[in-house]
Amino acid sequence: MENEIRPPRRYKRSKLPKLVRWIFGLIVLSYFFWRLYTVFIVQNEYTPDIWVRLLISGLVIGGVYSLIAIGYTLVYGILRMINFAHGEVMMIGTFAGYFVFEATNAIRFTSSTGEITSLSNAQPFLSILLAFIVGMTVAATFGFLLEKIAYRPLRKAPRLIPLISAIGASIFLQNLAQLLFSPLVRDYKNPDLIARGQGWAITVAGARLTIPYTGVLTFSLSIILMFALYTMVRKSKLGKSMRAVAADKSTAALMGIDVNGVISQTFIISGMLAGAAGVMWGLHNGLVYYYVGFMPGIKAFTSAVLGGIGNIPGAMLGGMLLGLIESIGPTALGISYQLKDVLAFVILIIILIFRPSGILGEVLSEEKV
Amino acid sequence: MNKNLVSPSLKRGLTFGIVMIIFVLIDLDVMVATMLSKLFGANVIRGSLPDVRFMVLFLILFGMFVGWSTSSDDAKPTTKLFQALVAGLTLGVVLGLFDLILNQLIVTGTDVRKYLAALAPESIRLFLFDQGAISPLLHLGLFTVASLLGSLMKILLKSESASRFFKGVKSGYQGLKAKAQANTPNWVKKYGKFLLFLLIGLLAFFLPRIWGSYNNYVVGLVGLYVILGIGLNIIVGLSGQLMLGFAAFFAMGAYSVALLNAPLPHGIMLGFWPSLLIGILMAVVAAVLLGLPVMGMRGDYLAIVTLGFGEIIRILLKSDLLTSFTGGPRGIQDIRGPTLFGQPFSSDIDYTYIILVVMVLSIIIYKRLERSRTGRAWLAVKEDTKVAQATGVNIMTNKLLALCLGAAFAGLAGGIFAARNQFTGPNDHQLMVSMNILSILIVGGVNSIPGIILGAFTLKGLPEILREIENYRLLVFGGLLVVMMISRPEGLWPATRPNIEKDEGNKLKEDGAPGEGGLND
Repeated sequence: MENEIRPPRRYKRSKLPKLVRWIFGLIVLSYFFWRLYTVFIVQNEYTPDIWVRLLISGLVIGGVYSLIAIGYTLVYGILRMINFAHGEVMMIGTFAGYFVFEATNAIRFTSSTGEITSLSNAQPFLSILLAFIVGMTVAATFGFLLEKIAYRPLRKAPRLIPLISAIGASIFLQNLAQLLFSPLVRDYKNPDLIARGQGWAITVAGARLTIPYTGVLTFSLSIILMFALYTMVRKSKLGKSMRAVAADKSTAALMGIDVNGVISQTFIISGMLAGAAGVMWGLHNGLVYYYVGFMPGIKAFTSAVLGGIGNIPGAMLGGMLLGLIESIGPTALGISYQLKDVLAFVILIIILIFRPSGILGEVLSEEKV
Repeated sequence: MNKNLVSPSLKRGLTFGIVMIIFVLIDLDVMVATMLSKLFGANVIRGSLPDVRFMVLFLILFGMFVGWSTSSDDAKPTTKLFQALVAGLTLGVVLGLFDLILNQLIVTGTDVRKYLAALAPESIRLFLFDQGAISPLLHLGLFTVASLLGSLMKILLKSESASRFFKGVKSGYQGLKAKAQANTPNWVKKYGKFLLFLLIGLLAFFLPRIWGSYNNYVVGLVGLYVILGIGLNIIVGLSGQLMLGFAAFFAMGAYSVALLNAPLPHGIMLGFWPSLLIGILMAVVAAVLLGLPVMGMRGDYLAIVTLGFGEIIRILLKSDLLTSFTGGPRGIQDIRGPTLFGQPFSSDIDYTYIILVVMVLSIIIYKRLERSRTGRAWLAVKEDTKVAQATGVNIMTNKLLALCLGAAFAGLAGGIFAARNQFTGPNDHQLMVSMNILSILIVGGVNSIPGIILGAFTLKGLPEILREIENYRLLVFGGLLVVMMISRPEGLWPATRPNIEKDEGNKLKEDGAPGEGGLND
């Protein structure tokens, strides 16, 4: 009897996770609806201008998130890995921009009218352009080095190994910045032309509110960059080879595409976008410190997943949506503004549970590994 | 000499030059020099700088390392020396140029600490050996000679006669060992292990009484992290789910003990032991609530979701929303410690005992689990989900069970942690805690108990003992994670595969069975 072979237990797919999933979803949804109902119908104390103000700030933040999210999406599409250190690349861009503004602010001369001005105020466009160029270049360099040092040797490793390497790189870069520049929170020195808090005054429903100059700069620049990137990926030769490598690395190599080169260029491009986003973040929010990249990085990843990771229009859409949700959400739900990060994470979890492929679907990664 | 020889050495020298410049910018050179001087018994007062000799020593060691690593293994001795010469010269030139800038800063008296926080004038002087304008030349000479020395060392140590010498030593040692084994009396063989455990037990009983409260604190910390590491290892190492929000379960345990045992905000004062049980239970409940909806998620998505979960818990603990319930950002103070047979049992010695006992229990539980049917099912799920499913392993139950058990360990450690510190707050449960525990696993070796202990000691114990490296701990962590993943993904003390086949009487022998350690998706 003891040698009798036990028949394998019949495998029954449990319905429990699905049930719990739906109960979880229902609870969250009904909570949202209840809060929305309370805020809009029962209390109804907000005037339209408040919503417009939140909309504007949401679009600005959304633009920054979109730019960073594109970096996540590009890398994920090609290497199927989450570049966890991408937020730190953005942080480096923010610091680079900070130093440019410090430098241009330190160069002082007497202008033709006889006042002493700094270079950043005398030539604001030049200094802003310089900040963006330096920020993008430095961030792109770090993106390139990151791939070369931390990811390239792990190209053939199981999927979790590069993720851990990326986490290590993220911790390393954060602490390097902390040791180099001290944990101090520093102020961005904007040129007077786009000083923080200044803006065009408009009137909405009888109430006056301002559209900040930095916000306009951030939003329009991010739209331009996104458009440029989209055209590049669609039309240029590099974009074509990027898509080819994303579809199938070995076949792309057989077609004469330099796979390593394309991957390097992808990291450079995503680093440039992150650097630009970093300078925008500094100009708009005005604070720079070693931890500045972490939260935007996680949020941008959330946006990339929200739109469908691997999908470039999805990343743009997801970034904008997340920016709007984050700025309007706490007020609309009537919860404390402290909890906006919780809101973002809850949305991330819900998306991953119910629609892991995101709103527009994963375009670049068809095979589910 | 051809170009293929020069260019890699040049690159090496340049890279190491940049590394050294970063060292100087973050004041790491002074830290290493301080540690070297302590190693040689010099008494360095905290905040003062070490003697310049030790800076020279550090730079020589660095240069020797450069020479050692630049000379390629299969080259002729002259080639090796040439490579080292090129690398050393490049390194010297790079640092010489850097020295000129530094010297300029000293001469003009510019203080750059507003931007580069660590670059104090005293540290710069120390790095330049206080020689001013001739220090670039000194550095150039020093690095060239040191690099050549390193290369020479490699030539000597890796030479034919040297390797024969080492082989001779090794075989002699093995012969001695075999002889000793043959001569061991039977009773030692039989009870040796038992005696060893007895000795360790006696040491564990008496040492905490002798070596003072600071050592107790360090040992307790390492012990707690071993427990946490074992818990996370069940989730990551055995069942293969990458979890980045482990601190959330830790927080569950800590807050349960804190809320039930502190005068504020509730003043329930339930007592330590029952609240510890409740803490474990709360952690398990949290694991079920998190686990059920996210089961079956892809590996990297699961990592991010658990990260989000950990952050949600931390932000909620910190937020105004729960301030009246959890004490908000200020945390909970004056947590009452445990009692034993009516006597207070909460001196630092007692906590060391508690932690050591719990640690040993955890190790035993882990060992039993690993060899059990469930443990093997976990490994099967980790290695190949589809095959495991086809052979009748219930994926969901097993994964969830792993999550719950891991969470239980975290709750346990969290409860003891809160009571030992008599305080817990949101900052005790940051993302960094989760990352630290994961790093312990990866640095030590996944699925290996000695590895976890080694990892916990390296990452939590050493920084406590060597206070100088406190500031650089996380930097080294991050770098270490990357380097480990590239060069040694199985960890410092990799696991050996338990001989399950033999235990089961199964004659199936696999050639080249997949490695146990490491992380597979």
